[in-house]
Amino acid sequence: MVEKVEFKTYREMPIRPMTVTDMLWNRTGSWRNVRPYYDFKTSPCKAGCPTGENIQRYIYLVTENDYEQAWKTIIDSNPMPAVTGRVCFHPCMSNCTRGEFDEPVNINAIERSLGDKGIENPGWMKRSKPSKKEKVAVVGSGPAGLSCAFYLARQGYPVTLFEMEKALGGILRWGIPEYRLPNDILDKVVGAIVDSGPITVKTGVKVGSDIGLAEIDKEYDAVFLGLGLTRSREIGVDNEDCDGVHPGLEFLKKVNSGEKVDPGKKVAVIGGGNTAMDVARSALRCGSDVTVFYRRTIAEMPAIREEIEEAEKEGVKFYFLSTPKEIVAKKGKLSSVIFQKMELGEPDDSGRRRPVPVEGDTFEMGFDSLFPAIGEQADIDGFSGHLETEWNLISSKGEYGETSNDKIFAGGDIVTGAASVVEAIAAGRKSAERIGRFLSKEEEPVDTPDTVVGIDDMNTAYFSKVDQNRVPRIPASEIRGTFREIKTGYTAQLLHSEADRCFSCGVCNYCDNCWMFCPDTAIKRNKDDYEIDLDYCKGCLVCVEECPRSALSTREEGR
Amino acid sequence: MKQASIPLEEYMGSGHLACQGCGATQAMRFALKALGPQTALVIPACCWAVIDGSFPHSCVQQPIYHTAFETAAVVASGLKAGLEMRGDSETTVMAWAGDGGTFDIGLQALSGAAERNEDIIYVCYDNEAYMNTGIQRSSSTPYGAWTTTTPVTNYKRRPKKNMIDIMAAHEIPYIATASTAYPHDIIRKMAKAKEIRGTKYIQIFAPCPTGWKLAPELSVKMARLGVTSKVYPMLEITENGQKLEVWKDFEPSSVREYMKPQGRFRHLTDEELDGIEREVEANWQRLLAKEKMLGSIPGLA
Repeated sequence: MVEKVEFKTYREMPIRPMTVTDMLWNRTGSWRNVRPYYDFKTSPCKAGCPTGENIQRYIYLVTENDYEQAWKTIIDSNPMPAVTGRVCFHPCMSNCTRGEFDEPVNINAIERSLGDKGIENPGWMKRSKPSKKEKVAVVGSGPAGLSCAFYLARQGYPVTLFEMEKALGGILRWGIPEYRLPNDILDKVVGAIVDSGPITVKTGVKVGSDIGLAEIDKEYDAVFLGLGLTRSREIGVDNEDCDGVHPGLEFLKKVNSGEKVDPGKKVAVIGGGNTAMDVARSALRCGSDVTVFYRRTIAEMPAIREEIEEAEKEGVKFYFLSTPKEIVAKKGKLSSVIFQKMELGEPDDSGRRRPVPVEGDTFEMGFDSLFPAIGEQADIDGFSGHLETEWNLISSKGEYGETSNDKIFAGGDIVTGAASVVEAIAAGRKSAERIGRFLSKEEEPVDTPDTVVGIDDMNTAYFSKVDQNRVPRIPASEIRGTFREIKTGYTAQLLHSEADRCFSCGVCNYCDNCWMFCPDTAIKRNKDDYEIDLDYCKGCLVCVEECPRSALSTREEGR
Repeated sequence: MKQASIPLEEYMGSGHLACQGCGATQAMRFALKALGPQTALVIPACCWAVIDGSFPHSCVQQPIYHTAFETAAVVASGLKAGLEMRGDSETTVMAWAGDGGTFDIGLQALSGAAERNEDIIYVCYDNEAYMNTGIQRSSSTPYGAWTTTTPVTNYKRRPKKNMIDIMAAHEIPYIATASTAYPHDIIRKMAKAKEIRGTKYIQIFAPCPTGWKLAPELSVKMARLGVTSKVYPMLEITENGQKLEVWKDFEPSSVREYMKPQGRFRHLTDEELDGIEREVEANWQRLLAKEKMLGSIPGLA
């Protein structure tokens, strides 16, 4: 197209004053003093996700109807979206830019839909072959252990997965009730992970007693400990061992294994965490009348807000600022509980206000069952001498779960204390990556800081307010006597409608604004991206300003 | 990649002589995408007489007839008549003039063509002053604006001429305003105009970063804020001036937000800005009242 036209004399000029060529000879790029360039940044949802799921990417792929690639995008950082899509406390959503505009995108529900599609399409899971000779032992098959085993197998390491119970899943199986995470879903997720590569499963083996840690240390080239917290904490009052008082986690385990349990007519649950909520709502489903007692107020409860709200909606009663002072037993059986009223004092180390007893203010209530759910502890007595521990947890030196023993790595609740499923998954994956580098003697990668975009970087003129699509659920009136899953999940239509709400912060989603508004026609629209023609870009930066999602940046010329 | 949201075909190439962030250039690009290759342009003296390129080059693929300042409408009428005489009734003829060549110098020719209802599209890309010759005031320059002929101490103290009402008085089949911030809307209106026989008048709000003393990257933003602050309402007048539709479905913004980034308004005091705000609101209410009034006359749609 570029044709230079030169006339030596007027005779060479065309007889009619007509255009003979275009203006491409005029390289207006030389006018420019600032240059725009495509510069994709990190969306806040990804930055907020402990396991760093590329959320923007998979939501974009949903809008493109490419569920398989969307699912594979999640699997790169989390092997169980069908689980996290149900039980995650979704910090991604608290970080969502859209939350500052109208309502956050329901990332959790989108993740669940994709996780379920992964279960429907087992062929999507790539099978990895054992390509390495070094063997790795993974102890514990909760979220941390499963995640670590999965990412080790993906790298080609043969993994032996030790589990003390008869079935895999750990806290996912024994601690989370079926109405939140159905067993058949968990079975399929666990099955897919175990089948994805060279993973050998040894159930019913408790490391630390059935087999020593030293033995495993000797037999394997590396070890990952993801044991979780398995011992329920005691309240520390008299008669705690009487009939009718059971640790909450034990009750959940019975219920989850399908055992018929009758906790009686009146049930008290002690605690304000997620386990307490799970116990309370499970007891409700067994037909009991449930009251939760918490020593602080609702504002200090560590449970996921949604869980508390749902428990309330379903009919769980709450007593705040009350803690059991005495358990009254008759003939070795629980009859009533005397509670001490509390008030909030000075803030403690966690920043929450410490509850202090109100002298002389007590009350008594009769119960058939009492379930303390005030936290769990690690069961690592068998490891003493082999590993450094602190506060009955395994001490970790670095962010990849390195312990005092070079060959042994640890992650999840056993290192952090009670945390979340997604944090355990992240820890398992990070350790798997670190173990791979340890075994292949690879250098540690250099961390490049992410540029995270926020609402102020967005051009919100291109967005309009749209309410979040609520997840369909069974009515609260229908929950008694059944452990049927509460949330029925998005329909295809709701899934797309919700995915369309994503701002795609910091990453191009081909909205065409830059290409469309360029006054110099200097942006080329390729098949998969856009390209700035610097021969003609005058540097007006309209493209940068009109990009709704801050996917372009600028640089001064000559610097 | 998703399907493009506006036509992919490009009729305006790179290398043209417009300033950085030129709204008039964006307007041309969108208009040509809507009208397609079988279009002839008539351009009088204005920015676009320069932007297009120097003879024998042109950044536009469609033929352009460059003409004298006051004659865009009448040359376009003649061109259309000539094409008809040769049996070509397909080619769209578009006169493309700035606000000086429309509101002031070319008004008589435009009025004549509109009165005869010549089958042309007349587009005024409105950047609110004679930008090409060095930012002199035109009758389209808004109240309060600085230009080189209305310097700061003596800024323009007359309101912008209501060109839309003048055109509506000619009872032509289609009149519309548009803004470079809304390409889909420009394309829709141009495509609609192409299908209508008779004189079509489209006035496109096209920011001029140079003449407005504005950072070039804010060009589209100003085109948007001009609309959402109600300074430059988007409207369509159809049925020979009998039906008025005003676009109201937007998140309103303040007049100050629109005026603040523009150097041409920098000298205005708070009191003067208050006055302009009141005037903008009054104009808006008048416009809505007119829309309602036209819609309520029995026998009219």
